Amino acid sequence: MADFEERRSLLGDEDERFVGDREPQRGAGGTGGTGAMPAICDPRHLLHRVVVLVFMCFLGFGSYFCYDNPAALQTQVLQDLNLNTENFMRLYAWYSWPNVVLCFFGGFLLDRVFGIRFGTIIFSVFVCAGQIVFATGALLNHFWLMEAGRFIFGIGGESLAVAQNTYAVNWFKGKELNLVFGLQLSMARLGSTVNMNIMGWVYNKVAGLVGSPGYTALGGSLMIAAVTCLFSLICALVLAYLDKRAERILQKEQGGTGEVIKLTDVKDFPLTLWLIFIICVCYYVAIFPFIGLGQVFFIEKFNFSPAEARAVNSIVYIISAPASPILGFLVDKTGRNVVWVIIAVTATLAAHMMLAFTFWNPWIAMSLLGVSYSLLACALWPMVAFVVPEHQLGTAYGFMQSIQNLGLALIAMAAGAILDTRGYLVLEVFFCACICMALMAVVMLYFVDYLRGGDLNQSAAARARLQKEATSDAE
Amino acid sequence: MAAGTVKTRRTFLVIFLFFSLLFSSSGQSSFTRQLIVQLNPGWSAPAPPGGDLLHIRAVGDNDTLHFLFCSQGAPTLLLVHTNSSSSSVKVDWTPFLARNTTGSLRVEPESSVLSSTALVFSRLLEYDDINDTASMTSDLFPPYELQNLSWSRMNSSDPFAPLCGSVVNSSGSICLQLSAFESEGRGQSWPRLLHTANSSQLGVWLDGVSPRAARSRFMLELQAVGGAYPLSRVDVHRSIDDEFTPSIFKASHWVSSANGSSEVVGFVRWRSVAFRRSKPALEDATPCRNSAPRPQSSEAAASGLIRAFYSNVETFGLNVSFGLAGEPFYNSTRFLSWTLLMGVGSPPVDSFSALVVAVMAVGLGAPVLVLLVGGVWICARKRAMEPTAAYEPIN
Repeated sequence: MADFEERRSLLGDEDERFVGDREPQRGAGGTGGTGAMPAICDPRHLLHRVVVLVFMCFLGFGSYFCYDNPAALQTQVLQDLNLNTENFMRLYAWYSWPNVVLCFFGGFLLDRVFGIRFGTIIFSVFVCAGQIVFATGALLNHFWLMEAGRFIFGIGGESLAVAQNTYAVNWFKGKELNLVFGLQLSMARLGSTVNMNIMGWVYNKVAGLVGSPGYTALGGSLMIAAVTCLFSLICALVLAYLDKRAERILQKEQGGTGEVIKLTDVKDFPLTLWLIFIICVCYYVAIFPFIGLGQVFFIEKFNFSPAEARAVNSIVYIISAPASPILGFLVDKTGRNVVWVIIAVTATLAAHMMLAFTFWNPWIAMSLLGVSYSLLACALWPMVAFVVPEHQLGTAYGFMQSIQNLGLALIAMAAGAILDTRGYLVLEVFFCACICMALMAVVMLYFVDYLRGGDLNQSAAARARLQKEATSDAE
Repeated sequence: MAAGTVKTRRTFLVIFLFFSLLFSSSGQSSFTRQLIVQLNPGWSAPAPPGGDLLHIRAVGDNDTLHFLFCSQGAPTLLLVHTNSSSSSVKVDWTPFLARNTTGSLRVEPESSVLSSTALVFSRLLEYDDINDTASMTSDLFPPYELQNLSWSRMNSSDPFAPLCGSVVNSSGSICLQLSAFESEGRGQSWPRLLHTANSSQLGVWLDGVSPRAARSRFMLELQAVGGAYPLSRVDVHRSIDDEFTPSIFKASHWVSSANGSSEVVGFVRWRSVAFRRSKPALEDATPCRNSAPRPQSSEAAASGLIRAFYSNVETFGLNVSFGLAGEPFYNSTRFLSWTLLMGVGSPPVDSFSALVVAVMAVGLGAPVLVLLVGGVWICARKRAMEPTAAYEPIN
């Protein structure tokens, strides 16, 4: 299948020392007679790559749009299907379960088994099929079918993100890669935001057509949401065609993820990496399940209307779209990742405490949550690259995604159960406790790192200087 | 290392105690009362015609609360607060049963009476919510007058058994259950209202009453009759604590205010929620609304107890309606339950449970502790290493 000669490391967030030396190869394959092509059709030209970028960004749109469908339609799902919150949160848990295992094998499947092009199409088909099965389950009022649909959707969803990143690394190099990752993330957030804000309206329109609200109207709205997945599938097909064409014209090999997953590497992970894992798990379990349950919380506690509640629930994603590139730039420029992570975790803790213990306008707390969520993503994921050698990076990221999904699956159900029996205050206190655990872990990380020489918390200038010394030593 | 763990544990204890003192309920005197129950005092068996009178004396150190629960006419709960621990209730049964004489029920000595409040459950109203708007002015069916129902007999061996009346032309019933308390505590089932010895809890539920339309919703009319201080306004309190009534953050207090001052003399308290099942889960909760209390003529209180105790008094009435627009109708489960708390003094205020306080204390305290300990340790290490830190030049 795809015998690739060079290994390209897949980066959670870009680090230039890995990609910078790839520059010269871009022009290497340009000898196949392509002289007379218009710019937009020339794979080496910027204009063509922008077109490819557009399709790449929309590749993930459908998956992110449909991921948060349950949250956007929470009241309708609970009422039409007669669920309690614990069962509702199972819709999120079933998305995460396949990814506990698949995060390890996604890269492997894309590189060795399917190849990037065919693999992307397959995962898009899973996303599409999963959403359709989910919608059918709602139409027929079979909850087990909806859970199965979310499971299938989950198989495709996360692996599609890996594929998207791989396409990005293959088509864009160096400084462009930061921008491309940023744009892809923004598109993902755009998908989530659009979902939060329009699904309620879509449901009302469908309920009007069908005659009354109920599971038929719910199924209809989810089918309409599946159209975005179909759209993403078309993008996957187009991308496969363009990639194959570029390969033919430029005579380069089909790209690979570069990930090498060796489970035995796990025993070599340093303590700092395990602390980073703990931070990752404890932090994200206090964000995504909270957004999943947010709509009814804002309606009940703060007396928001359903539309307002959905809007404030989506503010985290809206803020993260522009904030991620800006904050990424900031963290890149200043370094000191551990300090930024401490700031982000503390800010999130403050936001959750505001929501739990006060009646202050939740727009404030949710905006703070959005900024701190973006800041953490920009500061935490690159730290993995500082701590493990390049050949273990794939394993480390795979492991991190895997336990993150495991945490999300378990905590999603626990959150639903807590809400059903003890209410929102105890739920928020539970989330605060998770953030406090993340805070403990990051404080310990600070000290462990300090005692081991302070590699993680270096300023950007110091790190650049060390790199220059290292490369000059190597010569 | 062992010393460090002991110190850590002690610090945790201090932090926990600090937080619990900070959050512990203030102003709730946890006093106790002794409960003495009398059924139909002064009437020898068999039971008096038309309904029973349950008298509970809650005796404190130097005051008494008399709870009088009567099913003569519309079910009524009368609270009389006296400043003597030996006050008693005297009933002249013949004029009492005729329901036309003031003074046929007296609390003696009369001079010891501090305040009195009564709550009458007068009518059960039903309306057809065709457009699912829950507006209380839509088509009202003829109301069920609760004075006309035949109520079940009370039993002296189980005074806190529910009092049920079967609704005409229907197989269902409306029930009321009174509970009086000796000390502070919390109800067992939702809404788990906090009570003290100064309050009593009344649960009301509709079980199996056939609705007269597929989309009907119910309202309950309550009347409050007061002596010097009638219950005249409803305050809505928002609280951040929904531990005991998940997703309900509002409680309503129907209070009476003494002349000029804002001190509350008597109250009726409820959470703005009713439940559609007898063992409810979160999704069985339905919100309830109340109309503003309006003055009514005192003849409107069709209760034998009111006629016997009060001469002419101010009566305020309000409607509690169950279910808002978009909520399931009564027909979905044919069950509705609602609980209220009635008492003297200020309504009890909920506070955090120990679990919440402990989790927050540990959660916030631990990272701060690690930060402090780690910082101190690092400084100590630095100081210890100082003498040998600097490299010396070779020449």
